[in-house]
Amino acid sequence: MLNVSDVALTFGGIRALDAVGFTVGPDEICGLIGPNGAGKTSIFNCITRIYQPDSGTITYGDTDLLTVPRHRVVGHGIARTFQNLALWPQQTVLENTIVGAHSTATPGLLASAIGWPATRKAAKQVERDAWDLLDHLGIADLASHQAAGLPFGTLKRVELARALISRPSLLLLDEPAGGLTHSEVDELGDLILGLRRELGFSALLVEHHMGMVMRICDHVVAMEFGRTIADGTPDEVKRDPAVVAAYLGTAA
Amino acid sequence: MSTLIDKTSAARPSGEAPEGSGRRGPLVILRGTGRYRGIVAVCLVLAAGFVAWGGTLQPFEQGQLTRAAIFAIAILGLNFTTGYVGLLSVGHSAFLGLGAYTTGVLVVSYNQTALSTIPVAMAICFVLGLLVGIPALRIRGLYLAIVTLALGVAFPEIVARLGDLTGGAEGLTIRRTLLRPPEWSGFTLGEKDQWLYWLTIVCLVLAFVVLRNVITGRYGMAMNAVRQNEIAAAASGVNIATVKIFSFAVSGAITGLAGSLFAMYIGSLFAEGSFTVLAGITLLIGLVVGGERTMLGPILGGLIVVFLPYYTSDLGGGQFSAVLFAIVLIAVVFVAPDGIAGGLGRVIAKFVRIEARRPEGRDGGLLGTRASDPEPAADPGAGR
Ligand SMILES: Nc1ncnc2c1ncn2[C@@H]1O[C@H](COP(=O)(O)OP(=O)(O)O)[C@@H](O)[C@H]1O
Ligand SMILES: [Mg+2]
Repeated sequence: MLNVSDVALTFGGIRALDAVGFTVGPDEICGLIGPNGAGKTSIFNCITRIYQPDSGTITYGDTDLLTVPRHRVVGHGIARTFQNLALWPQQTVLENTIVGAHSTATPGLLASAIGWPATRKAAKQVERDAWDLLDHLGIADLASHQAAGLPFGTLKRVELARALISRPSLLLLDEPAGGLTHSEVDELGDLILGLRRELGFSALLVEHHMGMVMRICDHVVAMEFGRTIADGTPDEVKRDPAVVAAYLGTAA
Repeated sequence: MSTLIDKTSAARPSGEAPEGSGRRGPLVILRGTGRYRGIVAVCLVLAAGFVAWGGTLQPFEQGQLTRAAIFAIAILGLNFTTGYVGLLSVGHSAFLGLGAYTTGVLVVSYNQTALSTIPVAMAICFVLGLLVGIPALRIRGLYLAIVTLALGVAFPEIVARLGDLTGGAEGLTIRRTLLRPPEWSGFTLGEKDQWLYWLTIVCLVLAFVVLRNVITGRYGMAMNAVRQNEIAAAASGVNIATVKIFSFAVSGAITGLAGSLFAMYIGSLFAEGSFTVLAGITLLIGLVVGGERTMLGPILGGLIVVFLPYYTSDLGGGQFSAVLFAIVLIAVVFVAPDGIAGGLGRVIAKFVRIEARRPEGRDGGLLGTRASDPEPAADPGAGR
């Protein structure tokens, strides 16, 4: 269970986050909505230790995440995707996916150098997982293609594969439907639900497609100006006057 | 026939057609298949033939080849951290020099056999690499280049200061008899140069295989990831600090190996001669012109930095030869910005492409079932 409470973050005087708090329960898909600049990505960056909050706590299960080094976060079961893609463009789609498994089966330098059998065996298993995931996400025929030059939507799927291969218990998705058409958005919603059924994880989903959020989320948190302004079931949040005002005020 | 074509095109949902649909794309060869093994075997035979031919050359030519192989090892080391992890080092001449002086001092003052000093030289360079790797954690790009430049500039100075050990400005001469090939090798003292040729080749092959194992494996993928996007690498669980420090240490050790061999090759060491920053820049030139981030590049680089000046000085003496050398280098980088190996690779990729093969056996995968794409159960046209 992810617990964010009272998190505040400033950038040289600008308050990006101001007392943000919410909880993501086990096996729950929690939507995180709010106008651009509300601080959704900043929260992701605090959870994954890219930003250090000025105050507040973030815990996952019994772990105080604010004491975990950045590269250990995924080892605690938290994997993420990035709003504006953070792939390795010169590597192939397959390689991008394989590196995602670094935390579950960390390759040693010496063992790799001498071609240690256990390391090779682990690599085979990771490769198999990667192909399975690419297959499942419909991009297996691009496995040997460099990430550079592929369409945005495809790359978002590569990021999803890279996150999933670490067998996360909590998946952080930052606008996974960005750049998709309407029917593709529906498909993606089904895909996420299907993956949760098969793999079992909870998710924190930042998304602007309200239809998708309302359909697949068990629980929705709304933010505006770095604060949580509503928290409840999708229906409750949709009708919340503060949320309606926030959306009418900025997006209408 | 037409149904077969329809079926294959329908099976590519993501509509990828980079090379016009009318023309045939490159021949795709999957790793681990018989065809792939055949190509590897042909390359190995060609390489073995070249090496064997080198073994029959006259002393001078063979010596040049030994020197090229030594530089190839040094550049392989540089490629490991500068190429793959992107930690630009201008001062790798310090590792070359430290390896050379370790061997020189141990042989001359401590009565060690030349061969036994190789692991020591590598270990000492490994430790220096760890130390230099530490600033690489905080700085990168040109700033790191300046730190390594300082290392490269400081090295000859330090050697001059430690005169008791290193002979200072006078240099350190290893008498030929001290470089006698070991009994078991079957080479006599008179065949020292041939022994060194074969020793260097063995070291080159070992370094090549070990580094290739790392680079093609998951550790190598993580190194590439660190170079291209550190935040994403860390989010995937890659410990950036470990990868950077150890890549630098391994890089130093391999370049130190080259230094150790260089001491045996050259016999007399002058820090102001062979191990100035100019040597570090020569290694970088070899890397860039040979082809960064390729396995073949450093070998081509070693050949270039040894043989190209030799040929350009044939065409004209002194200043003119240096200018000619520079012009050839610029021309190569202009035609192939990713070096000779990179350019060659791009040309070959138009005809043949080597791709990863999907491992067989689908048990115990991440996803229990695989009912995702409705592939036809059996291919009716299986017998082609
Ligand atoms: N690295 C940064 N430096 C300065 N300001 C930042 C940085 N990251 C985010 N911000 C600011 O924090 C606020 C929240 O941004 P963000 O978290 O990206 O919002 P959202 O993802 O909800 O659109 C914005 O005002 C943004 O300009
Ligand atoms: Mg955002």
